Amino acid sequence: MATLASPVADSLDALGLPDFSTETYKDAYSRINAIVIEGEQEAHDNYLAIGTLIPDQADELARLARMELKHLKGFTACANNLGVTADMPFAQDFFAPLRNNFQQALSEGRVVTCLLIQSILIEAFAISAYHIYIPVADPFARKITEGVVKDEYTHLNYGQQWLKAHLDEIREEFEQANRQNLPLVRSMLEQVSGDAAVLQMDKEDLMADFLSSYQEALMDIGFSNREIAKMAAAALVG
Amino acid sequence: MFGLIGHSTSLADARAKARNLGYDEYAEGDLDMWCSAPPQLLERVTVTSPTGKRIEGAYIDSVFVPEMLRRFKTAKRKVLKAMELAQKSGIDITALGGFTSIIFEDMNLLKEERVSAVSLDWQRFTTGNTHTAWVICQQVVTNALKLGIDLATAKVAVVGASGDIGSAVCRWLQRQGVGELLLVARRPQPLIDLQHSLGEGRILSLEEALPEANVVVWVASLPESLQIDTATLIKPCLMIDGGYPKNLDTKAAAEGVHVLKGGIVEFWQDIGWQMMEVAEMAKPQRQMFACFAEAMLLDFEERHTNFSWGRNNITLEAMDWIGAASLRHGYRSLALDEQQVEEQQVDEPAPVFVDPSADQTQALASA
Repeated sequence: MATLASPVADSLDALGLPDFSTETYKDAYSRINAIVIEGEQEAHDNYLAIGTLIPDQADELARLARMELKHLKGFTACANNLGVTADMPFAQDFFAPLRNNFQQALSEGRVVTCLLIQSILIEAFAISAYHIYIPVADPFARKITEGVVKDEYTHLNYGQQWLKAHLDEIREEFEQANRQNLPLVRSMLEQVSGDAAVLQMDKEDLMADFLSSYQEALMDIGFSNREIAKMAAAALVG
Repeated sequence: MFGLIGHSTSLADARAKARNLGYDEYAEGDLDMWCSAPPQLLERVTVTSPTGKRIEGAYIDSVFVPEMLRRFKTAKRKVLKAMELAQKSGIDITALGGFTSIIFEDMNLLKEERVSAVSLDWQRFTTGNTHTAWVICQQVVTNALKLGIDLATAKVAVVGASGDIGSAVCRWLQRQGVGELLLVARRPQPLIDLQHSLGEGRILSLEEALPEANVVVWVASLPESLQIDTATLIKPCLMIDGGYPKNLDTKAAAEGVHVLKGGIVEFWQDIGWQMMEVAEMAKPQRQMFACFAEAMLLDFEERHTNFSWGRNNITLEAMDWIGAASLRHGYRSLALDEQQVEEQQVDEPAPVFVDPSADQTQALASA
């Protein structure tokens, strides 16, 4: 007999929260948490550095940088709370390719590339990752992370506003910087996808959410839909 | 501004479409790549009603393909992300097309916890089901008459009767007056509830209902395995294929069996868009899913609210209202003799993509 099947999968895989006390969890957390701490440290350094390229914005950038240090302390407390030591050498290696690109651009005075790397790409990724982390975080980390997310929006917004105001001059450099740096996100994500899975953060969710945030930032800056689709695709097939 | 959220009918189609539009990276991407890809606002159009009222709209491809249906999280995310994009793009009322409204309902996304930074404003979305149900009813009445079927004595089977569209169609046909309603659906309890609320109608299995019916309204997705023994059907038999995807014509092809694509409307003039090309409409410049047209109607009428929402909330009053708006703004329900692809259109080359950001959307009209 023919049945009228629902086309949609019936079951919802309802996972509970992970067990935060297992060695497996702590081991994975030591690397993910280190990445977050290192990310906040580099964000701090990067905003101060960008201030040297746009001196009239130096005060505002210094304010953003201070906020990043506050986040760093919060995430350090999260590790302490779980009795985990962050694997900082791992995190420093992890960020090396992006850091090198940033430093290169900084030394050549390419402010558009610096802003793309720090205030669009890294911030968009951080916001997406934090959002995906919040529902599966331990209660202590959840609270800290929720507070951080609110701040990070102002950072994403800062870069967007500057780039928006200079759209006509930045196009070429922006596209090139996108081509050079966006594929790095995918390889960085691949590196930690196993650890992220232990924390119940799905690789596909992370990438999709990141790309949505990234696209949204590009939309706000004023790129056309076609340019946006093309640029975002660099993360998927680069 | 109105919005339409749609998707391609398969990964192969999606890749071909991406190739046509010049999105080479997507054309070469595999299913995993498509799963991670964010939604895209592909096209902007301006539409003018016979009343002179002009509205602007956008088509958003959710970058969902039916191959993702079994990937629960992916399908869910695709729909919600496309809705987020619609909202962020400042669209006042957006219709969920194709599988997106089915996913929304079946996965109960309304109850979903906040999945990301954006909290969706449900007022900005409509399933478009009220207009779809009204159009299907019009199609029953008009085409039964054409085939010499007297509705007043005819048995009308509604397959998927307890669903949102199905139950609305039953209520409307009851008011219209038909010989007998034959109620068919997957789950028994909602059918019993429907029969109770109608105060009439006979509950049957699909196999029992088909040989008795003069008219069959399909508003359920058909399983691939479904076989219809056309020899047992009453001739003539009018079949309205109101489900998604529309694949009944391949299953019920026989002399005296008249299959009509259900829930399709034709606009009074060409619309400068190309998105309906991929939906296999006979006249893609004018024909579209009634659910999409509902978003346009709500925008024409400046009724920016989730007109069709939730399950089994469609009232006869709402159907009457959307039906009157549909006629006023130049939409007509697709009829049996209008669904053939005209030869000249088959031979036409695919239109050249016009960058929607370049504000040249009208240029497509001549393509």
